[in-house]
Amino acid sequence: MSTINGTRSPQIAQRVAANALPLAMAAIVVVFAIAQPAFLTPDNLIGIVRQVALIGIMATCMTFVIMTGGVDLSVGPVLAIAGLVSFYCLQADLPLAVVILAGLAVGVLIGTFNGLVIAFLQLPPIIVTLATLSIVRGSALILGGPEQHLIRNEPAYSFIGAGSLFGLPFSIYIFALVAAVMIFVQRRTPLGLLVTAIGDNERAAHLSGHRTRITKTLVYAISGFGAALAGIIQSSQVHTALATYGPFGTELDVIAAVVLGGTSIMGGNGSVARTLLGVFFLGIVNNGMNILNVPIDIQLIAKGAIIVIALAIAARRS
Amino acid sequence: MTIRPATVALVLFFAATLAFFSVSAPRFATATNYENLMAGFSFVAILAMGQAFPILVRGIDLSIGAIVGLVGMVVFDLTLIFHVPGYVILPVALVVGMLAGALNGVLVVVLRLQPFIATLATLAAYRGLTYTISGRQLVPGLSTTPITDRWIVGIENYFDVGGWLGVNKLLAMPWFPLSFFIMLALFALFQTLVLATRFGRDLYAVGGNYEAARLAGINTGRVIITAYALSGLCAAIAALIMVARFTTATEALGTGSELTAIAAAVIGGVSLAGGIGSMFGPALGAFLLGAVLLGLTLQGVPQFVQQIITGAILLAAVGYDRLLVVRRQRRLAANLAQAG
Repeated sequence: MSTINGTRSPQIAQRVAANALPLAMAAIVVVFAIAQPAFLTPDNLIGIVRQVALIGIMATCMTFVIMTGGVDLSVGPVLAIAGLVSFYCLQADLPLAVVILAGLAVGVLIGTFNGLVIAFLQLPPIIVTLATLSIVRGSALILGGPEQHLIRNEPAYSFIGAGSLFGLPFSIYIFALVAAVMIFVQRRTPLGLLVTAIGDNERAAHLSGHRTRITKTLVYAISGFGAALAGIIQSSQVHTALATYGPFGTELDVIAAVVLGGTSIMGGNGSVARTLLGVFFLGIVNNGMNILNVPIDIQLIAKGAIIVIALAIAARRS
Repeated sequence: MTIRPATVALVLFFAATLAFFSVSAPRFATATNYENLMAGFSFVAILAMGQAFPILVRGIDLSIGAIVGLVGMVVFDLTLIFHVPGYVILPVALVVGMLAGALNGVLVVVLRLQPFIATLATLAAYRGLTYTISGRQLVPGLSTTPITDRWIVGIENYFDVGGWLGVNKLLAMPWFPLSFFIMLALFALFQTLVLATRFGRDLYAVGGNYEAARLAGINTGRVIITAYALSGLCAAIAALIMVARFTTATEALGTGSELTAIAAAVIGGVSLAGGIGSMFGPALGAFLLGAVLLGLTLQGVPQFVQQIITGAILLAAVGYDRLLVVRRQRRLAANLAQAG
């Protein structure tokens, strides 16, 4: 009996901590809506979703990595190189499907490399992905040089990031699809269970006969896929491919969204759905502060303070 | 203190790198180049030694680049807006860096945040604060005024060591920058601190096994906060060196330098698992990175390829570190099997 109580009470505490974020989000929406009625207009709300789509795709795809106790710092350069590869495929007049697949394949390959090195050589993820950050950025610069590559007269490709369907930007549909698939994978497939198991206790999962190494490799491949998809959308949105896209700090924004959603950086506890909450929380705060003309410096300080407060509450209650 | 095989390997690799570039890169083995190496990477070595403290207690400090920016801007404001004399600014700058670092430690210890997240948050906050206090924006026209206080710009000074020793006729010696001697002094201080004091023992104990250290009565919170404060102090010193070199500070000063510092520390054999490493490795790791980058530049290798090679070195360094760990475990297992 005591063991049941012992396991149940932290779960309740975690539920409270998990609900702190939606509550805070609601409070912030009310504050922004009163301070600036323009905040609640449909256009602005759609704008928020569009703005967070790139970070959102990367964050939902990186949630598994963080749930296994890892981290992926290499998403920024992967975003850039995927855009460049797609650009060169467009230049070569390849069909659209090939263009997109090529861009995505680069991300998956880099992610798989990260995963193989981390899972099979058991090197620390932060250092491995820091190294690939450097390697991929260098490769992107060799491939594309420092100049901008304009993507002109490619209506089909431009539709991915800049087109709209039924009155909503197309990139929002992609974001929604990725989020739905990732939530499904986490809740309804063995992979989702295994990710949680590895985060809780990798050794135990390994000893129970699970393929922990393959799973970890796959998880980094998914993160690379997300970054590449974001890169394709971005290059299509701004009609430009550039080797320095996804600048230093992109990966930190993505990680911040994931951990704000309540995924522990030590692994185990976490969920893709809650990552979405973190993404929207950061997006709403950014958008609201922009609307209220809060200067960039205060925005940075506020972002830091929000992360600290949110996680301190979570740490206290669990 | 036994010398670890990883340290020997690092020294050998450093020597091999110097030898390789001396042969293959034009003008590598010249006094000017070594002067560039010392002037350009002494502050990286200082940052790397600072970074070693949090890593030794199983933490990490992502905020040092932002602390560099913050301290740089404090110096900028105090000297150009308030005309505070340099001998006051120097201690103030060090205190600001230490406090910023100590706050990281407090977040980790008191609020129990993961170091990665805590310092990620302060990275954003300190950089934001730098913009807030930026004298470049508060006082228009100041952005083009150079800092002239001799206490501050005096840090950018070079010494003709070869001339003093009288070996100039035999061997062209580089002029040694003051930052190199600051780095050496800090190295001596920190190495003594970690190897020969109670704080050092506590540092390894907390990093090696936190729970055991706590149960042994070590004030783990104080050790961890001190580790982050020392990292902030090193960031402040690095900031002073950079401000003296540029005779100004920008809001972006130090951006990204945390990754270089972490790389140098890891190349220097400081284990991210905590409790393993000393100050020699990170310092030499920084100069190893520097030698490779300068050598490749002199060979005419484009900067982009250098990034790739830096990443590859980092991978090789952690790979080698891992290899040593695996070997140690195997030896331990073999010994246990024999004993059993």
